[in-house]
Amino acid sequence: MKTTFFDLENWREIGATLARNKTRTLLTAFGIFWGTAMLAMLLGGSGGLQRMLRSNFEGFASNSAVLFANRRTISYRGYNKGSSWTLTTTDIENMRLIQGVDAVAATNGGWSMDVSSGRNSTSASIQGVDKDFLKAFLPTINNGRFLNESDQRSGAKVAVIGLNVANNLFPGGDAIGRFVNVGGIFYKVVGIASQQAEIQINGSKIDDTVTIPLSTLARTFNMGDAVGGVMLTAKEGHSPAELKPRIIRTIRAAHPIHPDDSQALFFFDVSEQFAMLDNLFAGITLLAMFVGIGTLIAGIIGVGNIMWVIVKERTAEIGIRRAIGATPADIVTQILSEGIALTVLAGTAGIAFATGVLAVAEKLAGHRFQIEFSMAAMILVIFLVLGVAASIIPSLKAMKIKPIEAINEK
Amino acid sequence: MITLKDVNKTYFGAVPLHVLHDINLHIGRGELVSIMGASGSGKSTLLNILGILDSYDSGEYWLDGHLIRNLGENRAAETRNRLIGFVFQSFNLIGYKDAVDNVALPLFYQGVGRRKRRQMAMEQLDRLGLADRAHHLPGELSGGQKQRVALARALITNPSIILADEPTGALDSTTSKEVMQIFRELNADLGKTIVIVTHDPGVGAQTNRVIRIVDGRIEQQ
Repeated sequence: MKTTFFDLENWREIGATLARNKTRTLLTAFGIFWGTAMLAMLLGGSGGLQRMLRSNFEGFASNSAVLFANRRTISYRGYNKGSSWTLTTTDIENMRLIQGVDAVAATNGGWSMDVSSGRNSTSASIQGVDKDFLKAFLPTINNGRFLNESDQRSGAKVAVIGLNVANNLFPGGDAIGRFVNVGGIFYKVVGIASQQAEIQINGSKIDDTVTIPLSTLARTFNMGDAVGGVMLTAKEGHSPAELKPRIIRTIRAAHPIHPDDSQALFFFDVSEQFAMLDNLFAGITLLAMFVGIGTLIAGIIGVGNIMWVIVKERTAEIGIRRAIGATPADIVTQILSEGIALTVLAGTAGIAFATGVLAVAEKLAGHRFQIEFSMAAMILVIFLVLGVAASIIPSLKAMKIKPIEAINEK
Repeated sequence: MITLKDVNKTYFGAVPLHVLHDINLHIGRGELVSIMGASGSGKSTLLNILGILDSYDSGEYWLDGHLIRNLGENRAAETRNRLIGFVFQSFNLIGYKDAVDNVALPLFYQGVGRRKRRQMAMEQLDRLGLADRAHHLPGELSGGQKQRVALARALITNPSIILADEPTGALDSTTSKEVMQIFRELNADLGKTIVIVTHDPGVGAQTNRVIRIVDGRIEQQ
């Protein structure tokens, strides 16, 4: 069985026929070019946008909640409305016992203080964190290490300083092992940390913070057993929303708070925000697909249309070919190959163009926008399949042309 | 070479049109024959049946020992390609292909390789005195040259018969004579069986036998 598809003449012919009406071929090719480019750009763009938004939460445990004590809004057992209270280390221990709770990270501080080393001084936020902190938030460790359990137990005077703080206090020098002076007390620097996310814990990014063990902070600043903000993560299979009632019950049991005072304990479900974000992303992706596929279909209809016109125009030629021995299959192959050639050329050009545009977006945004190779290949395959589908009707029409019709058409 | 036995053809339109009545015809190998008739006489239909471009309703058509009846599209295409060379009034060359490619086209559908195809086409053009026009497009050729290219295309597969439909209809008298001369040479020198459909008595006179068709019936010689 001879296959004309792979014959050089077949492809020379396709070149010749497509080149015969350059304007029309160009316009059709542009439809496909734009379709693939749009689809690739939309998918790449929405992916990049998602990565940009997601980076705001990088390092932050998604299945988590934040809670802290607010002032009372209802007077209760001699405590006036407006009086303040604090969570305690006992609350933290109790919360850790609740089934489904993975980690409870207690923090305190967040006060802005002068920090100095030698002649250099800067202003930084000072916070204490306990051993569970890294389970709720994973900062980037630029140098050295983060606080460990031994630091926590012993109440050592050690600190992890933010990248900005380190750059201000130790310009050009290695900060690890040096000491920083915070309110007259010296802390040994064990690590330098920063974060990608825009989220602020205790009022500032970790880049601008001096982080010390919670136990050290409590003793230095006379905090007793009081803690400030708490970050709580749920175990796999549990959600903060599901744990919320038990957590609130546990805390209320230990503190004089009116049962109806829902505002005295602030509970912020981070996982809900993530879910919302996920929905937003799903929406963006869906929109990108919808618009992209619309453009794609328009392009493909263009291909079908031009193939139809080509077949109409070439009725006589096809008839001659049939008369001198072309089988219907030969004719179908010819028309289909023309559609395929047009689609592949214009589609590849479209993806190349989109790749260029996405590369520029990547440079400008500083986040990855490029589509994956497999995605580009998939777009091309979709185009190819639809291009062939669109050429099928015209090629079937061409197949039905009888040599006799063509010859009579003088 | 060609034998028709009681061939009938009716076009079933709004009014059924019985175009060919019991056609009996024999054309031997190496004959140069013309089929003549007025327009509407059925001669084109006869040619289409001979060329396997159209079907017939009853009777038998034998071509080079093969019974031609109810061939599928693929078999018909293959048979046309192998056994029949066509020459048309309006040349029917493909406008965007040069002379060599036009001549080589039937071989393309036989699956002959490109190099071989073009070589054979060149030889054929050379034989018809068109070697210097090989790379011209049909639009750049005169009517006589076009018809010679078409003849070369008809001959390239070395067919059993050449069917020509008014081959001189679009040519002036001088060129007509040239083309008819080629037909005669092909017949005399190469022994080709040639059937020419025409309404031009001048053309008919240059063939060895004239078959007249009137109202769908062959007139007895």
